[in-house]
Amino acid sequence: MENKASLYKGRSRYSEMKKRDIKERIYRGLVFVGVIGIWYFGAIRIDSPLLLPTPMAIAKALVSSVTDPEILLNLSITMKRVLKGFLYALLAGIPIGYIMGLSELAEKLLGGIIDSVRQVPIMAWVPLTIIWLGIGDGPTLFMIALSGVFPIILNTMQGVRGISKDYYNAARSMGAGPLSIFVNVIIPASIPDVLTGARIAVGTGWMSVV
Amino acid sequence: MELTVDAINKTFISNGNINQVLKDISFEVDKGQFISLLGPSGCGKTTLLTIIAGFQKPDSGSIIVEGKKVVKAGPDRGFVFQNYALFPWMTVKDNILFPMKQIKMPKAEREERLKVLLEMSQLEGREGLYPHQISGGMKQRTALVRALATKPSVLLMDEPLGALDFQMRQSLQDELEEIWLRDRTTVVMVTHDVDEAVYLSDRVIVMSTNKGQIVEDMNIELDRPRNRKSIEYEKYKNQLTIALTKASPEMTED
Ligand SMILES: Nc1ncnc2c1ncn2[C@@H]1O[C@H](COP(=O)(O)OP(=O)(O)OP(=O)(O)O)[C@@H](O)[C@H]1O
Ligand SMILES: [Mg+2]
Repeated sequence: MENKASLYKGRSRYSEMKKRDIKERIYRGLVFVGVIGIWYFGAIRIDSPLLLPTPMAIAKALVSSVTDPEILLNLSITMKRVLKGFLYALLAGIPIGYIMGLSELAEKLLGGIIDSVRQVPIMAWVPLTIIWLGIGDGPTLFMIALSGVFPIILNTMQGVRGISKDYYNAARSMGAGPLSIFVNVIIPASIPDVLTGARIAVGTGWMSVV
Repeated sequence: MELTVDAINKTFISNGNINQVLKDISFEVDKGQFISLLGPSGCGKTTLLTIIAGFQKPDSGSIIVEGKKVVKAGPDRGFVFQNYALFPWMTVKDNILFPMKQIKMPKAEREERLKVLLEMSQLEGREGLYPHQISGGMKQRTALVRALATKPSVLLMDEPLGALDFQMRQSLQDELEEIWLRDRTTVVMVTHDVDEAVYLSDRVIVMSTNKGQIVEDMNIELDRPRNRKSIEYEKYKNQLTIALTKASPEMTED
């Protein structure tokens, strides 16, 4: 009895979600079409391809550029850079985030430094990094990594801080030691936040490459 | 003696307010006894239970389980949380296996025990589901057998059925009793439901909002399963209800 009831409940909730999903997609589609429409008529009125090209012109340019081998090569180089910088950001950000999430002392010590470094506009680093790392890939990578490392640190830290005390107590009362708690509780409980940080980092990585 | 609570004191200081929650609380629990801590909201039940569990330390006094003084949480005391505290990233099966892996129970024994526990909690066929995919009652049963997996000397439960509706509650009381009767683990259960206390306990301790003072300590001498409609049952309930009014803030304020 109970099984059937809960199964049914699960299913109806699922289909409800699907319905909402479809609705949302339709709305998004409508907004998209609307924006393109306004753009199109605006472009025709202004009638200057330099100020505001029509959507069609943009689409043509996009098609010709994704088929242009040189642009594709550049794109792949940029992507590689973003990826590399992002990996450095992960490599540095995740451990720092965990340490700051777990230790209040570390948070106090590092928090101030990180906050002040974060305030420095990213462009201000350009001359300095060119001196440090020379011209070439170095400064770009540094910038991508630097802009990505903060959201990773902050989200990881918040993820760890947000873990319910009950989980720690439950794990301890079941005989878990510190290592097991880290592997079986802290990591899985904080992964969603780490991923959120990583997602933001990829975004800022792209932005800082431009 | 399976569990000794000896002269426990606990005071909280928050925003300059000094709040003595537990003053000189002492009692002893025999092996295999099912006792309930009953009392109005805020009287210190959870505080006392978590001190027994080792989740926090008393200011003074000691907890002794099977002759050993408690210094921290450990698998000799199973704990059932009011909100279950199942690990949402683990399946029902992995949740139940977790404590057994922590104490390094051999694999064959683990699997054997898992089977028994799943059968006991009527969760067979559900072991692959995640906590968010099962009902409140099933979560409760998962939490219960997870706490019993390593055969602890004492099982501590903080309002284990508090989050369930009335009907679910009664049917789970029966299941809880049935599961408990198998091994007769020593139990300390926190509740503020008089009926639940009488239905399940061998003994009920009533705590007061005045520093957790014990205002009643009563043995329930009724055969199991108990008949809610019997006169004796009613008598116990009445006596405890009276004790509970004595324990409430209006009576203790000066
Ligand atoms: N960590 C804490 N810091 C400050 N005060 C606390 C803390 N934990 C509990 N208290 C206080 O101690 C008192 C007893 O709390 P406790 O949670 O033990 O009550 P309870 O009997 O379990 O109540 P309920 O039935 O509502 O769960 C309350 O006044 C509460 O505010
Ligand atoms: Mg409580």
